[in-house]
Amino acid sequence: MLPLILREISFRKGHTTIMLCGLISVTALMTAYLSTESAAERETKRVARDLGFNLRILPKQTDMDLYWFQGFSNQTMPEATVERLANYQGVFMTYNHLMASLRQKITMGGGDVILVGVAPTITSPDKKKRPMGFTIKSRTLHLGYQVGQRLGLKSGDTLQLSGHDFKIEKVMVEYGTEEDVYVYGTLKDVQGIAGKPGQINEIKAIDCLCLTADQDPISILRKELEKILPEARVIQDRVQADARARQRQMVQRKFEFLSPFLMVCGAIWVAVLSALNVRERRSEIGIWRALGKGGGFIAGLVIGKAMIIGFFAGFIGFWVGNSMALEVGPSIFQITAKAIKTEWSYLVWSLILTPLLAAAASFIPAMLAVTQDPAETLRES
Amino acid sequence: MLTCESLCKYYQSPKGMVKSLDEINLSVSKGEFLEVRGHSGSGKTTLLLTLGAMMHPTHGKVVFKGTDLYRLNRAKRARVRSSSIGFVFQMFHLIPYLDVVGNVLAGDDGNHSGARSKSEALLQELGLGHRLNHLPNQLSAGEKQRVALARAMVASPDLILADEPTGNLDPENSKEVCRHLKRYQEKGGTVIVVTHGDAVHDFANRTIDLKAGEIISGPLVDHQAGDA
Repeated sequence: MLPLILREISFRKGHTTIMLCGLISVTALMTAYLSTESAAERETKRVARDLGFNLRILPKQTDMDLYWFQGFSNQTMPEATVERLANYQGVFMTYNHLMASLRQKITMGGGDVILVGVAPTITSPDKKKRPMGFTIKSRTLHLGYQVGQRLGLKSGDTLQLSGHDFKIEKVMVEYGTEEDVYVYGTLKDVQGIAGKPGQINEIKAIDCLCLTADQDPISILRKELEKILPEARVIQDRVQADARARQRQMVQRKFEFLSPFLMVCGAIWVAVLSALNVRERRSEIGIWRALGKGGGFIAGLVIGKAMIIGFFAGFIGFWVGNSMALEVGPSIFQITAKAIKTEWSYLVWSLILTPLLAAAASFIPAMLAVTQDPAETLRES
Repeated sequence: MLTCESLCKYYQSPKGMVKSLDEINLSVSKGEFLEVRGHSGSGKTTLLLTLGAMMHPTHGKVVFKGTDLYRLNRAKRARVRSSSIGFVFQMFHLIPYLDVVGNVLAGDDGNHSGARSKSEALLQELGLGHRLNHLPNQLSAGEKQRVALARAMVASPDLILADEPTGNLDPENSKEVCRHLKRYQEKGGTVIVVTHGDAVHDFANRTIDLKAGEIISGPLVDHQAGDA
């Protein structure tokens, strides 16, 4: 049967070309879309990440009025709390970043500053994420813009705190937030200055529930946290969490819409062309029947043709789509352009799925061919 | 070899019931060349397709080599067609993308060794030796019909059914086709030709006339074509 199908394909070049072009377009668009998808996803995550942490885990006894007024908890909890949270195997374990800190108000150069000791960010071990925020070396400080201005300090200067010398690693740019009066150091150094060894008073996190406010994520998080950290309470920055969730959901929905849409368009294209082909071949089908060929043979001619064209379309479509992604992708996703690369697994999928799509789409035309009454056809012509 | 009893084929049309075949009784012996004559719409093609296991009758039965064809399922009827019946049509119905040899091989039921060499020999015999690798659109009408004849003969069927095989041919080519059919009959094959013209008449050894689905004359008239 294969030689017959190949001869028919080469005989009806116009029909073959149109069907091939349709399937190439679908495969190319899908390949290009999927190839740039990881870059788009990374870019989305980068944008979401830049929004900052959206969860704060505080000691349970925290006076929340005071917390919001002064910007840190007056209570502490053991540093080991963050490890317990990181090791928990639950819904919340889908965290991406956890950062423990100890915050304390101190007076410096005639004014108040908030001294923040930060522990290295813990990232999810299975997600291989780069830690958020900046790394601070021991015995160094990062000064908020306002503090730097007030004390007249610059990078490389030395500042004495609690009898120890600290090198000013950098003076941060003006953020226009409360961070302008922050002084950052390592958690160990700040615990020493504050006289609270092994203690923290805040864990910041980014949750991965990706639920919008109307889906009430905070209740889920609190219920979850209650089991592992009875000594803590969680609050969520809903504006940030919402923005993050919406951003990710939008990307996901776009993909969920686009993939079936492309598939359906391709299937309709193939189905219409197969039906036209069957119509054009009515007399041929009639004569095959007269010659004693069965329904399986007739269906094989129609579906086999679609599958062979689908195979070639899968190959060419992958090549076109991949070239499009490599050529155009970097100009669209400038930050994460390096994530766009040839995904050879897509070639395998193209070679499997495009013929299957073509076969599925030509199934109804094939059944029309099989059920066509050959006597009617031969009598008419 | 082939008999039909009380064969009827009715169609429902907007104007009412159309009797395409009405109580046809016919018996065809092995080695016979039967001509079925009739005007357009007389039911000739319907009769041919019904005898050829292609069209289920409304009533009656067709017995071919002892088997009631329409008691068989579709697949078995297809097998009977493939192994024992060859068709020739007025419009040739060649497969447009197959060359001459390919078209003839399409008529082989796959049970014959050396089908290709047999096809080529048959085509040589039909005067198409120089056209073996040509596509149907490169052939004249007479050549196309000879290819269709070769296709019908290649599996050495017991019966060849020809529907207006000379309808699209000039007198010379018509005679040529009839001569080949006659030769086939003389080698022991059975041939039934339906036609509205006279080209076949001299080659047939029996002629029946069909009108409005009924045999109106000569089911048992026997004559031998003297010049065939």
